[in-house]
Amino acid sequence: MNEILLSLTRCVERGKVNMKSPYPPDMKGQEGADELARKALDAGIPPQDVLSEALIVGMQRVGVRFRNKEIFVPDVLMAAKAMGAAMAHLKPFFKSDALKHKGTIVMGTVLGDLHDIGKKLVSMVIEGAGWEVVDLGTDVSPEKFLKAVDEHPGCVVGLSALLTTTMVNMEATVKHVKAKHPQVKVIVGGAPVTAEFASKIGADGYSADPQGAVEFLNSRCTSN
Amino acid sequence: MIFETRTVIPEPASIDVESFSPPLPELLLDRRAVEHDLGYHSGTAPEPVIAAINELLPRVASHAQLQCGFRILPPSSVVIGPESVSCGSVSLSMGSVITKQLKSSSSIAIYVSTAGHGMERWANQLMAAGDMMQGFVVDTIASGLVEQASLWLEKKIAASVKPIGWSLTNRYSPGYCDWPVSDQHNLFSLLPAGFCGITLTSSALMVPVKSLSGVIGVGSGVKRGAYQCSICDLKDCYRRREEPEELEEQR
Ligand code: B12
Repeated sequence: MNEILLSLTRCVERGKVNMKSPYPPDMKGQEGADELARKALDAGIPPQDVLSEALIVGMQRVGVRFRNKEIFVPDVLMAAKAMGAAMAHLKPFFKSDALKHKGTIVMGTVLGDLHDIGKKLVSMVIEGAGWEVVDLGTDVSPEKFLKAVDEHPGCVVGLSALLTTTMVNMEATVKHVKAKHPQVKVIVGGAPVTAEFASKIGADGYSADPQGAVEFLNSRCTSN
Repeated sequence: MIFETRTVIPEPASIDVESFSPPLPELLLDRRAVEHDLGYHSGTAPEPVIAAINELLPRVASHAQLQCGFRILPPSSVVIGPESVSCGSVSLSMGSVITKQLKSSSSIAIYVSTAGHGMERWANQLMAAGDMMQGFVVDTIASGLVEQASLWLEKKIAASVKPIGWSLTNRYSPGYCDWPVSDQHNLFSLLPAGFCGITLTSSALMVPVKSLSGVIGVGSGVKRGAYQCSICDLKDCYRRREEPEELEEQR
């Protein structure tokens, strides 16, 4: 495996953003995700390989370690920042179609709920797995979800809620979206949500953590 | 409370509703507590996280808008039943797990506390500026502050009922120990509108989000025991502790 890609993977895993960032201390003064992504592209490594063989691999390790409670939310957010610095160099290739997302997920916190961070965290890990995320924010009505699905044909929908009183609005959302787009897959999550509740309301997937959402997307929502 | 004893119970009329702005220095929120709340239970937070906490904690004072308060319901109108507690026409469906803990209380104190909108705004600003990690640290500090404000308030409630010889039970909140969050509407109907700056949405969400609500039993014969997870069967509650003594005394 290419040396640059290996280092890039490590930068994402450790949350090393760029040369200037003093953390982690043992990588001080070294190139970060920012410089290494540029270097990889300049060395002629195809953007697809930079994404699949370095960035996604790094973020996947982060997701697994978070699930295993070896690392915590701040670590994931630092890794996502490093990932973002590298992604900035890949953005133009998405525009020119040289690079494709695995698919699109429309994410939002359901109507009546203002909790944002859990949903943001899941979104960042999903993005780090090569998916495009359209984040609708919080307090999102079923109508707004439907509109976004109309605008992103073939997308998956991700719903978040943090209280049992707002979790019930997931059911209305699933029904509203599926009435028009029965084939659209919906995954739900958030502290009070369970797999049992998910299947009861007709959602296709549930995960307690971001990595489970990635696994659901990669295994159940890709055409290839 | 039961009918026969109604006449002998003192009415704490002078301490019906009280609210406070707890002074920040009196809340025990230090770096270690924040690290713990972030998940680093054995003090193993990585350097940038420790640096962020050290940088952000001293700035809390200019963002937090702490408020908390309580109302002690008139004892003569409180009836503690097997599944619910009623006060006049309002019934709080706490469930038997909680009512059992309240049964020897003369009345209940309803309390709320909030960190205000300022902390949320600050966290959002940091996140919008691209620093998600710092934003999350602020969000976690805000949650810790509300918890600490509730503990601080508990002492105030204890002090206000002490003169009539009453003491307190543990705190119980909608959303815990089988008490449905939807009952927040009933709970808030017993408080003045907009009490401590907190309002309730139709989905029973308190705004500002960084707010807590609950009840405490008050009376002459009540005790504040260790937090008893053995009384509740919610297996995946994040507060579940194997050793019952641990939680409340921890911080
Ligand atoms: C911190 C906290 C608070 C804080 C602030 C909450 C906040 N986030 O701003 C404070 C102290 C203010 C608070 C208050 C209350 N809380 Co609270 N709180 C928590 C706690 C401990 C952590 C929540 C959190 O921020 N986690 C960190 C974030 C990153 O995680 P997350 O949002 O859950 O997201 C993760 C997963 O859920 C998942 N996920 C999220 N969305 C999605 C979407 C998809 C598609 C997928 C796949 C996955 C996914 O991935 C994320 C990353 O791992 C939880 C218990 C817990 N451990 O979850 C209780 C909890 C959420 N609270 C609860 C309750 C009841 C309350 C109160 C109603 C109590 C009260 N009566 O006062 C109030 C309500 C406040 C309000 N505004 O109305 C209950 C909710 C369950 C219920 N019964 O409805 C919980 C679950 C505790 C419990 N009983 O077990 N709370």
